[in-house]
Order: sequence, then structure tokens, then C-alpha cells
Amino acid sequence: MKRYIAKRTLQAIPTLLGVSFLSFILLHLFPGDPAEMILTIISGSEPSYAEIQRFRRQMGFDKPLIVQYLHWLSNAVRGNFGTSWTEGKPVMDLIMQRFPASAELFFTTFAISLVFAAVLGILSAIYKDRAIDHFCRIFSLLGISIPSFWLGLVLIWIFSVKLHLLPAFGYGNGDLKHLILPVVTWSFSFMAIKTRFVRSCLLEALSQDYIVTARAKGLRERIIVLRHALRNALIPIVTYFSLSIHHLIIGSIMVEVVFSWPGLGSLLVESVFKRDFPVVQALVFLSGALFIVVNLIVDLLYAVIDPRIRYGD
Amino acid sequence: MLRRDFLKYVAIGSAALMLGCSAKTPNVTPTPTPTTTSTLSQYKSTFVLGYGKDHKLNGGKWGIGFFPKIHVLERLVEYDLKNDTYLPCLAKKWEVEQNGKVITFELAKGVKFSDGSDFDANAVKFTVDWLKLNHPLGSETFDSVEIIDPNTVTIHYKDDGFFNLAKMAEFHMSIMSPKSVEPEGNPKGKFVLPVGTGQFKVADYKESQYAIYEPNPYWYERFRIKPKFKRFVVNFIFDDDTRVMALESGQVNAISDYVHGGSAYTPRNLIPQLEKMGYEVFKRVIPLTWIIAFNYEREPFNDVRMREAVDLAIDRNEVVKIFDNQVLPARTLFIESAPGIKEAGVVYECDPEKAKELVDEVGFKGTVEMIVDKAQSDQILVAQLIQQKLKGIGINVKLDVLESGAYKQRRDSGKYDLRMYYIGGTDRRFYLRMYWRFYPGCKWCAYVSDKTGELCKKILKEFDEKKRKEYLIEFYKAIHEEHGVVPLYFDIMTVVASKNVVADGYHLFHYPNGIPFGEPLFYDVGVRT
Repeated sequence: MKRYIAKRTLQAIPTLLGVSFLSFILLHLFPGDPAEMILTIISGSEPSYAEIQRFRRQMGFDKPLIVQYLHWLSNAVRGNFGTSWTEGKPVMDLIMQRFPASAELFFTTFAISLVFAAVLGILSAIYKDRAIDHFCRIFSLLGISIPSFWLGLVLIWIFSVKLHLLPAFGYGNGDLKHLILPVVTWSFSFMAIKTRFVRSCLLEALSQDYIVTARAKGLRERIIVLRHALRNALIPIVTYFSLSIHHLIIGSIMVEVVFSWPGLGSLLVESVFKRDFPVVQALVFLSGALFIVVNLIVDLLYAVIDPRIRYGD
Repeated sequence: MLRRDFLKYVAIGSAALMLGCSAKTPNVTPTPTPTTTSTLSQYKSTFVLGYGKDHKLNGGKWGIGFFPKIHVLERLVEYDLKNDTYLPCLAKKWEVEQNGKVITFELAKGVKFSDGSDFDANAVKFTVDWLKLNHPLGSETFDSVEIIDPNTVTIHYKDDGFFNLAKMAEFHMSIMSPKSVEPEGNPKGKFVLPVGTGQFKVADYKESQYAIYEPNPYWYERFRIKPKFKRFVVNFIFDDDTRVMALESGQVNAISDYVHGGSAYTPRNLIPQLEKMGYEVFKRVIPLTWIIAFNYEREPFNDVRMREAVDLAIDRNEVVKIFDNQVLPARTLFIESAPGIKEAGVVYECDPEKAKELVDEVGFKGTVEMIVDKAQSDQILVAQLIQQKLKGIGINVKLDVLESGAYKQRRDSGKYDLRMYYIGGTDRRFYLRMYWRFYPGCKWCAYVSDKTGELCKKILKEFDEKKRKEYLIEFYKAIHEEHGVVPLYFDIMTVVASKNVVADGYHLFHYPNGIPFGEPLFYDVGVRT
């Protein structure tokens, strides 16, 4: 097991480096001279050729790309992504300012979606082609088809404008009332596809020979579903759920915009519009890195979920 | 008769007499003065506004946002668009030397910053030095500043010309206290919070969420009026529809357009509905004209006939229908009250037949590319209408609706034929935008030719109002003759308020001393209990 952990960790490093390189190269891939672009954004006016040359030297843009990348990477691994071009503040400060709101929205949505998707998916699989299955399928289909921004606006209209029950916008400094509508809006689409996924995985497991054997042994249906079928269906389900983790950094852009939620998703959008590359680079890098780390953890969890997996020990 | 009964009858009689007299009064416009007799008990302690952008309060690239620049700070001078004059504000009077290369401002006495400290020449010097170091407009404008005495300051500008005075009414030139930075008074210091002489002082600010202001007692005392709230909360609600629904839900008392104009505004199509629902809508037409800008340096729009054809093909009445007729069709380059517009008598007509003849005469048969910024959703609809109208005269338009970054990239690289753009702005930006859009060599130009460029230079140099107006008239005529840009519609500034909000259209767009403002002001607004 230890060897497996070490091997997987080592395997993650090149991927991580790849992500970091892609994040770094963003600035250089964008059409135009980075030095000119930064100076234009910072000063709000067209810089002269001499100014551009001076700035290029000052920023190290005249050095080979690989040297620039290593310099950027050495800072990035220490949490230093530079200073925002438009805000004039350290990028990490901007990210940390928005992180609590993002985390609150993501983890609440994730937890609710996880519970509902699991329950609905299991019910749908157990009662295949019956009323409850039809309901779950229609529910999933609606969740997948309805755009979040539209659902958000409808919910605001019902619960804020008509019923005056919940606030229409804002973070509310931890007031749970403010969390309800964004979470419901996001959860609806978040859980929809996952409900279908749980259902199909479970249905596949339920059609296996060992389930027929279990039934022939006279086991109760509850035990067959939860202990035999679900446990075997868990690996794809856990993998699929874990893939959502990048939303912690990227957030749900539409939900954040509709509800004026001060999270990282809206920061990313603002930064892209303002061409604030240090912020975009940091968010892309952190999102990619988090994705890789979570994947690694999930890989290791497989052994816990499925005892047959022993990773060559 | 008891004394109490006597007093009752006298009171009833007086009221009836007053009512009778007022009914007979023939259309006398009362001089609007802010309510001075109100007491706070009539009003809620907090007024909540929904606003579409986070107006930064803690610095950033260009310092603080436009909203606090208007509400927390004041300027040395203010601009009256209708009369094309600059009026005293923090400066009582000024003396121009060397054709504007040097201006000496005599400052108003007895003015205090919201923290109780005195406004004086030191604050002006600090602001000018800070702008020189931190703001592109400041660095290109100011040369040096010297304190003559505590109430007199002389500013030396890099160039001469009337434009220097015009710039002093601009948002960015708002005066702030040396205490706005740390260490205090150091222009290289870290910006903390704006401290100004304006209507409000900053009480709290949460980035991307809200700003809380409190009335600045010294400002209210100076104008002898009483505030109708203790706290003014500005909630940042970025989505237009959510902002309107926040108003409907009662979470905010009013919603306002972005004070800079042109974006983050109440959807124009919703305004009639909101009016029907009983909300009060305050509107002010501002000299911000949306136009079609050409890439006039390459074919086919380097040919004036092609530009004229586009101009003649556009029916501006149809354009404003997109906005439910809430904005005004632009048949002139700027609104009627802009200096020289009426006198110039230049009118942009619609004549698709003539437009078609011109296209035939040029022999144009190809397709042109029009770029549109995706972030401006209304502009996509306008662009589609333009596409349809130009097709009617034989010009095929390929619309490229682009994400903002990509749009700017295409615009800057000059790979387009047509684009939507705006000239002018709120009143105070009239001459600044004249510079940015029509001055030779400016990055954000809309159109420049030898003739219009020269006229633009003369306009921005000329102190004499009469001569300046003559140049402006010539300029409007030249732009029209050369069909440099195609005006489409004039933008408006709106405030939509709930029924329980006490506000009037005059004070929302005028300073208490009668100076007209293009941006909405909230110093005299109250929310009834």
C-alpha cells in the first residue's frame, strides 16, 4: 500500500507540472506582447516602446520562457501568485477573501446533492419503471435541462418577490437564509446528472450474477441492495462525485452572478473580463492542483471501498 | 366659543384659504429647495440602494470607484452642460494664466472633511501629487502644484488650454483628504479609505457585497439641510433581473444605474412595467450617445459614401423601440442641451433609397464584419437591427459577438469594419470624451480626420465660450459631412424607487446649490416609516 501511495504521488507530479505550465503559459498564449498588455492595463494608457522595453527587462520577460516558468513555479508553490494587475493586491489575498463564501456554497451544495442523488438514484433503481422511478427520471431530466440562471431567477421571484420568505441576493455574512436559494438552485442541476449516474450504476450491479445468487440464498432485498449491489457500484460513483471538486475553486459562475454571491467563480469571471492574468493563472492552477490531489485521494479510497483492490501488496 | 374650538376653526379656515390660493396660482415653478423641516422620526433610519457594480473603496488601478467619487468627494469646479460653464465648488474662484497652463484656485473657506479636519490648499496639493503618481489622467495632466497660502493653490499643467479647467470637474480629479492614505499625506502611501468633503462618509465596505455610508454632518450643515436617513447602504447586485426583483421584494428601496453611464443599468424594457406597478422612475438624459464606429482606415469604410450609406440606412426610431422607447433617438451628435448642438442645426436623416444608390455607386458587393461585445446584451439586439437594415441597402454584415477580452483584442488590432461604441458620458465627461474619442492619436478614438482633429484641438484649447461654441458647431458639421460616426440613441440615467421612498427628480440630479449633475445624488432621499 505504501509503495502504491508513493507511486501514485510520484505519478501526480508530472500532471501537476503540466497544469502549472498551462496556467503559466496562459499569459503568453494570449495574443499580443505580455509586457505591453500589462502596462496598458496598469496605466490605462498606451505605453511607449521605451517603456515597454524597460518593463520587459524589469519583469524578466526578456529571459527564456523556461526560466520565467521556473521562477513563476517557485513562487506559486509557496503560494505567491504575484499581484493583481487591476486591484494592486496580492493574488492570494484576493482568493482568500472570496474562498469562505465559495467553500460555504460548494460544500453545502455538495452535501445536499450527495444525499439526494444517492437516495433518489437508489430508489429509482430499486423501483425501476414504477412511479417513483419515473418521478426521479423526470426530476433528473429537468435538472439537466433547466439552466441555473433561469431557475435562480424563478426561485427569487417565488420566494423573495411573492412570498417574501428569503433574500433575493447577497452573502448576508453567514446568515443561513441567504444560502438557501443559491444552494437549491445549484443543487438542482448538480444532483440531477448524479442521480441518473447512481441509478445506472446500481442497475448494472443489480443485474450481476452474484445478486441472483444472493437472492437465491434468500437474503433480504435491503441487504442485497445496500451491502452487495451498492458497494460494488460505489467505485464509479465515488469517482464521479470526486470530479466535482474543481467547483470549489471555479464555483458555479451562473449561480454566483444571479445571487451576487461573492465567491471565486465571480472572481474568475471578473478577472477574465479585466484580463487580470495573475488571478486567472492562480485560479486555473489551484483548480487543477486540487483536482489532481482529490483524484489521488479517491484512488487510495478504492482500497477501502473494494477490499479486492490491494494495489500489488 | 372655547379657545380650543376657536383655534380649530382658525386652523381649518387657514388650510382652506391656502388650498384655495394654491389652486388659483398660475403655473409658477417653485424654487426647489431640499426639505429642511423633516425629522428623522418620519423616515426609516436606513436607505438601501441596489447597484450593479462594486464601486471599489479601497484603491485599485484607478483609485476608488465613480460612485464614491461623486458621493464622498467633491471637486474644485463643477460643470453646467446647458450653459457650458464651469461653476465654483471647492474652489470659490480661479485665475487662468498662460492660456491655462497655470491656474490659481482660491479655495472655499470653512469647508470640512467628514472627519472634522479643515479642507485647505494642503489637501489639493496632496490630491494633485497623488493623482500624478497613481492615475494616468493625473500623470498626463499635472506638472506641479504649489501652495500660495492655506486657501490658495496654483496648479501648473503640462500643456496649456481650456481642457485643463474642464478636467478639474472630472470624476478622477475629486479632492481627498491626506488622511485617505497611510502614512498620512504621503502620495506614495497606501490608499486606505476615501475621506472627502462630500455628502457621505464611508462607514463600512465589504468587497463585492456592500458599502455603508453615513451622512457627512459638515456637508449637510454647509448646505443647511437635514439628512433623512442615518445609514445609506449600497448593495452590489450584479445581475440586472435580480436587482429589479430585489426592489420588488422590498430588500432594497431603490435601484440606480451605474453613475458612469452605459452599463449595469435597469433594463430599459422593464421601466414601463415598473412604472405601471407604482414604482417611481426618475430619468435624466445624459450626453452619452451610442454610435456606430467605422474602421475608416480600410476598405470599404475609408470611402465616405459607404459611411454615409450606413448613416442613411439606420432608422433611429426603430433602434429606440429595442429599448421600449425609453431612450431617445439620436438625430444629432449629442443631446439638444449640449453646447452648440441646437445652433449647428445638423440633423441625421434616414433615407434607405439614397443609401442604396450610394452603395450601388461605390459598387460594393462584399461582406463587412461587425464586432459586438457580448457583455453588452442590448448592443447585440441593436447590432442585429443594423445588420438587417444594411442588408436592405446591399451591405451584408457578418456579426461577431465576442467575449469582452476577445472584443478588445479585435478592436485594438483593427480587424473589424463596424462596431458599436459610445461618445460623451455624464455631463462632466463631455470634453474629456471629446478628447478620448476625437483627438488625434488617442487610443480610444472613434473617428479622426485632419479637419475634425484640428477642430477638436481648437475646442480643447479655447477658453472663450463663444469661440469654443463656434468650433463645436464647425466640428459637428464636419463630423456629419464626413459621416465619421453614426449616432444611434442617447442614453439615460435612471433611478427606480419604491412607493415609500421620498425623492424628487430635481434633487436627484442637482446639487443643493443648483448645480446640475448627470449622476444621481441621494442626499435628500428618505424612506417613509
